[in-house]
Amino acid sequence: MLSVLQNPRQAAAQLLNFGLILSTAFMMWKGLSVIADSPSPIVVVLSGSMEPAFQRGDLLFLWNRNWFEETKVGEIVVYNVKGKDIPIVHRVVRKFGVGDEAQLLTKGDNNVADDTELYARGQDYLVRKDIIGSVVAYIPFVGYVTILLSEHPWLKTVMLGIMGLVVVLQRE
Amino acid sequence: MHSSVVRIQNVFGFFTTVAFVVAALIAASDLIAPRTPSANVALKDVQVVRGRPHYYSSKKEEYAVIKFSLSADLSSLFTWNTKQIFVYVSASWPNSTSTELTNEAVIWDTIITNPSADHLQNIGPVAMKKLIRSAKGKSIDPSRGKIELKNQKAKYQITAPTGKVAETDNVVLRVHYNVQPWVGILTWTPQIEFGSWKKIKGGVSKAFKLPPLKVKKEEKKE
Amino acid sequence: MADQLLDQARELAEGQIDFEGQKLAELLATALLATVGAISFIVGFFLQDIKLALYIGLGGTALTFLLIVPPWPFFNRHPVKWLPVAGTETKSQGILVDGQVVG
Repeated sequence: MLSVLQNPRQAAAQLLNFGLILSTAFMMWKGLSVIADSPSPIVVVLSGSMEPAFQRGDLLFLWNRNWFEETKVGEIVVYNVKGKDIPIVHRVVRKFGVGDEAQLLTKGDNNVADDTELYARGQDYLVRKDIIGSVVAYIPFVGYVTILLSEHPWLKTVMLGIMGLVVVLQRE
Repeated sequence: MHSSVVRIQNVFGFFTTVAFVVAALIAASDLIAPRTPSANVALKDVQVVRGRPHYYSSKKEEYAVIKFSLSADLSSLFTWNTKQIFVYVSASWPNSTSTELTNEAVIWDTIITNPSADHLQNIGPVAMKKLIRSAKGKSIDPSRGKIELKNQKAKYQITAPTGKVAETDNVVLRVHYNVQPWVGILTWTPQIEFGSWKKIKGGVSKAFKLPPLKVKKEEKKE
Repeated sequence: MADQLLDQARELAEGQIDFEGQKLAELLATALLATVGAISFIVGFFLQDIKLALYIGLGGTALTFLLIVPPWPFFNRHPVKWLPVAGTETKSQGILVDGQVVG
């Protein structure tokens, strides 16, 4: 700890390094967001409603551009419902009409009924702009740590404790 | 690498790199596995009735109840990176103003897992035991990709936002699939041939017309 | 007393190895992990068994950790030979490596 006081240049370099890591991560996230045209190009699955395709903690990559064809039946989309802040990942099972006005109905593979009851009051269908992306790629499990940390806040304390221990046990 | 903490960090760091590269290779190995699916779907029976298609429906509307036959061979879709195949049959029909198939509704679907994902299926314990026993000693089971359905009742009824579906013309049934990998890109029935991935052979029924509304016995029909 | 205990704990946690050992550890870690990855892919691909590939990968990585992280004796076979202390007026300042005092 004393070395920080003794060597301010080193401390400043470490601070800059840390800032660089953070800003690089942020830039990559935003860059991906621009490329995929989605506010949230990577999402972690939070519910089991698409099992066995997606488990909780799986990582999904979204794509929100319709370059070759429209969002169609069978695609797995992530959508937002007015008044609910958690996006939902479900499969499109019905589509009526084309273009931005097309009416879409979704359903979770693991659910018996379609999503009509999940939508906002008086809303029977989704439209294209409710959707923030279609699932195009998948990596299992790696997002599980975020679920663990949000569901068991004491784990954050444990992690901080371990970090502290590492610092204390390191020779300066 | 002078202290244990640094060694843990370095080994873990390189482990993530190796894991990422291996995962990318696994995903890429999908591309060289040929896909040659084929399917035959035919309409057996169709009725249009008026009622509540779902238990939560607030109003009565017209809906079509379909029976169909399906024989499909999707066994080439099962490789080591296949987690499950989602097979679905949809009905498509044009609007009154155009010939383009602008409406589509899934009428039947099924999930076929590879043995590596059997434990994730949402089924009862007895069915689970049977499923796991059926693939004992097998890491992949392409024989599950063979589907034979005769006179299968649709799981989902055809409805329309207008509440009217009777006498809709030029309806076709189509078979689709969605391959869910363990890692990598998700793929659907291809519109164009791509390398060793062929288009689905067949998989479209003859066009048919929905019959007029069946007035009698609507309460008994479900 | 507390200082002594902390020092002992540090000694244990640090698991120091010598310079030759560091070189060896680096090489071993890289080679082992790469080999494990290659084996897991090849075996998985030819037996078409993704679970086996996963188990080989995780098992091999666990073995690598076990081999690299503890300060095994074979990482400490080339201790640094220090020059004899010349005079008592200069206290040992240690050697600065990557901003950290070693020795």
